[in-house]
Amino acid sequence: MFDATLNEKQARIDRLQLAALAGLIALGLAFVYSATMVGETAWTTPFYNQSWFRQALWYTLGLGIGAALCLIDYRILARWSYVFYGGAILLLIAVLIPFIGSVRFGARRWIDLGVFQFQPSEFAKLAFILAQANFLSRPTEELRSPKVFWTAMAMMMAPFVLIMKEPDLGSALVLLPSGMAMLFVAGTPRKYLFRLLSGVGLLGAIFILNVLFSPPEWRFTLEDYQRRRLLVYFGVDYASSVSGVSKAEVEQLRRQQFNDSHNVRQALISVGSGGLTGKGWRQGTQNALGYLPRAVAHNDFIFSVIAEEMGFMGSVLVLTLYGAVLFSGIRIASQARDRLGKLLAVGVVTLFFSHVFINVGMHIRLMPVTGVPLPLLSYGGSSVLSSLIAIGILQNVNIHRKAY
Amino acid sequence: MGKRQQKKRVVAMAIVLGIAFLGLAFRLFDLQVLRHSDLKVKALEFTQRETIRKHHRGDILDCNGKPLATSVIVKNVEANPELIGKYNEEVALALAPLLELDVAWLAEQLKPSMIQRTSGLVPRQWVPLKKRVPTEKWEQIEQAMRNLVVMAPEEEKALKPTEKRALHALRRRAITAQSDQMRVYPGQTLAAHLLGFVGSTNVTLGGKTIPEIVGVEGLERVLNTQLRGSPGWLSTERDGKGREIVRLRSEDVQPRDGLNVVLTIDSFIQHGLELALAETMAEYRPVSVSGVVVRPATGEILAMATIPTFNPNQPGESPPEARRNRVIADLIDPGSTFKPVVVSGALHDGTVRLTDTFDCEHRYWFYGGHPLRDTHPYGLLTVEEIIAKSSNIGTAKIGIRMGAESVYSWIRAFGFGSRSGIPLPGEVGGIVPPVNKWSKVSIARLPIGQGVSVTRLQMTMAICAIANRGQLMRPMLVDRLEDQEGRVVAEYSPQPVRQVISEAAARQITVALKRVVSTNGTASGAMLKHYTVAGKTGTAQKVENGTYVSKYLSSFIGFFPADEPELCIAIIVDDPSDRNRYYGGTVATPAFKKVAELCASYLNIRPDLNPDPGEGEQPAKTSVARAR
Repeated sequence: MFDATLNEKQARIDRLQLAALAGLIALGLAFVYSATMVGETAWTTPFYNQSWFRQALWYTLGLGIGAALCLIDYRILARWSYVFYGGAILLLIAVLIPFIGSVRFGARRWIDLGVFQFQPSEFAKLAFILAQANFLSRPTEELRSPKVFWTAMAMMMAPFVLIMKEPDLGSALVLLPSGMAMLFVAGTPRKYLFRLLSGVGLLGAIFILNVLFSPPEWRFTLEDYQRRRLLVYFGVDYASSVSGVSKAEVEQLRRQQFNDSHNVRQALISVGSGGLTGKGWRQGTQNALGYLPRAVAHNDFIFSVIAEEMGFMGSVLVLTLYGAVLFSGIRIASQARDRLGKLLAVGVVTLFFSHVFINVGMHIRLMPVTGVPLPLLSYGGSSVLSSLIAIGILQNVNIHRKAY
Repeated sequence: MGKRQQKKRVVAMAIVLGIAFLGLAFRLFDLQVLRHSDLKVKALEFTQRETIRKHHRGDILDCNGKPLATSVIVKNVEANPELIGKYNEEVALALAPLLELDVAWLAEQLKPSMIQRTSGLVPRQWVPLKKRVPTEKWEQIEQAMRNLVVMAPEEEKALKPTEKRALHALRRRAITAQSDQMRVYPGQTLAAHLLGFVGSTNVTLGGKTIPEIVGVEGLERVLNTQLRGSPGWLSTERDGKGREIVRLRSEDVQPRDGLNVVLTIDSFIQHGLELALAETMAEYRPVSVSGVVVRPATGEILAMATIPTFNPNQPGESPPEARRNRVIADLIDPGSTFKPVVVSGALHDGTVRLTDTFDCEHRYWFYGGHPLRDTHPYGLLTVEEIIAKSSNIGTAKIGIRMGAESVYSWIRAFGFGSRSGIPLPGEVGGIVPPVNKWSKVSIARLPIGQGVSVTRLQMTMAICAIANRGQLMRPMLVDRLEDQEGRVVAEYSPQPVRQVISEAAARQITVALKRVVSTNGTASGAMLKHYTVAGKTGTAQKVENGTYVSKYLSSFIGFFPADEPELCIAIIVDDPSDRNRYYGGTVATPAFKKVAELCASYLNIRPDLNPDPGEGEQPAKTSVARAR
């Protein structure tokens, strides 16, 4: 309190970020409404069961939890970080056990709590960032020891492997940039970073080459849909990956390819047909007529609804709001006086950014389709809560900044 | 190191993030602004659908509502070889007997294959199998497909779900059918020349080409506009599952079925006439034989037929001359049936009276350097006898007394030289040479029906005018138009053309025409038991290449009951091949008599002769006796 009066730049809520947050929440409500209130069944559902209302509840809950988090100094939170991390790892293991984890769309990602399906991976990401930030907030000299580096790597790989197992490729992949950004900012020597980057790059290249070109018996075990999504992303002709099959089978494969690329194509068309100013709120045909599958329009594909109905203006607005959140987050990171705060902020910002980039990129064919939600805009309790908790952590770092 | 390095690295991260966001924004700009128009069209392509709604071509009905021409729904059977896959032979075996196609050919058609499209090689998904399959047959085909056996039931149970789905698709969706309509003439050749026939064209509607039936000949052609109706269409949007979104219907036009046309034709009489003509055809083997049954008072045509005829269900199988409606499209020199035309004019003018006598020169009379012959030598004959005995010389002399102008105007007044106005295509007006083109003998030739070209229908209508107290009627073929629910849309009434001769003159000529149909008249064969008949025979020598040849056009046109005429029947036999029997009184009267008796009992025409009530029972008794 005393410090705050000494320097107004210190210890306060980041208003710009909160304004951007409010904008995103408003957009989220409006477009979850637009995406789900189509068809007669939507209107006959009682309002408290309608998606937009539930989303509003999650926003309220999330804002409450985020605000509550700000009351506790992040340093105190960090002391418990290994507990959170351990808990998250246990939950990730638990979700893989058939009686606990429930299966939706072919993936075991949720724990059914009756009123609410809880997705541990969303919180595992945050727990990992907290633990990693705590672990890396040590003198630079210590970071040079291989032991520290490899421990940090192990902390990153544990949730990564578990989430991959669900399978949830997208959620697993977003851990990598966050972990790497934290290692980078923490001051890990270049040689480690270089090795890490080249290692990841090499593995990625092997993975992609394997998916695209290897004969069947050499392939990694991937879910069929994951392989096909990747093939679609790289624009590979299905028929070219097999040889010695009849014309009819080739045709079968072509049809399969057409079907598999349906969502991607429709999302691209949705975005493109929006034009400069869009078709107007609730006037988008791609969503209303079900060309964008109803199951995904309001969560993973919400961006295409916004882009179709609000056009280029709308997409730029969304990117600007995210930009405001992220750059205010970077500002918080740069102004943080201690390593822990800085690393926390960097980790959260990178996590947030990865979600946005992968999700938006998937609509416009910059990224393959992975089930990564758009933070704060996509419908879904776990995603909304974890996003708001992440923002809460950023604000926490800002509020409890010490004036050294 | 430490702080500074960290600061630098945070900035570096910020730059990376910034670049990534710019990349997203650029790609969005590309899609949403630069490529917007392409992608917008694509989005519309997914949703917009046009559907054509089929319409029904109207029926042609006879005066009792019996269908003479109707449209039935048929199925054009198609297959999707992609869904049939390896089971093409099984499907072919099941369907070949139903479709009446060769098994091997069918199996080949059903075999999956690839075709070249702009988008590359695609599997063939549409193969037409057979057109115009009756609906009942199609139901059998559907049934056969649903019950198609391709393997043992227990084997089928063991299949994977995807294979089961494929089998289900094969049974339900591999063989499909498009509804089409086919024109059917249930009476086969009945009234073929009146009805005409149809063909098929393609009509473009909203960018889609659909087949449509069009009338090619006869009433089908003339009344095509009324019969065809118009297709409707639905322009709407579909959702991702292909369901219609009613809210987004932009055009919704209901199809309009064609109107039913109700004719004056009575199919019973038409059939009777055709039978009688066929018998005449069989007996005399002429080139053609034609007949018309008309109600003189209204001009309603109850029947009209020509043999040779054709089957409108397969019009292509008959030669063009069989499809020609000779009653209206061919010109004839009418011969003696023409005589009442000119003579009734003379009676109307008072140039002659029935009792005036003319010297008939005992068979030969030279006029203008050419001989004029009668079949029998006659001396002095009254006008009445001239008609009754059909004296050429007498009639020529009446014509000469009338003068050229008068003869010409009477011929025109009876409707010759202009179309009768029957609603059929191909009617000709005939040729009546104007007076300034006449040769010296024309005045003697035209009154006896030589040197004038008329249609069979014109000749019939002229005699009808005499029967109808001198009033010429326009021939009537269409009674009314009805919609599909039987509500009358348009009703036609008899149309008088003109009062040609006075009622008195008509009555006088009828007296003479009654003498024709008497025991010593030329048409004794046309006498009816219960009705007085008035009529005129004709035996016109045909002209080929400018000279008379020994070919004849034998005809009889008569009406009855003579004083209150109900029906007028014309029978015209073109060139009977029997060299001894060619007189109109011999060749044409039997058919007349048959048709007249049939019509009289069918239409309950009140007898005006021998109204003996006891007589009717005699035949009934004999028939009972026969039954025993």
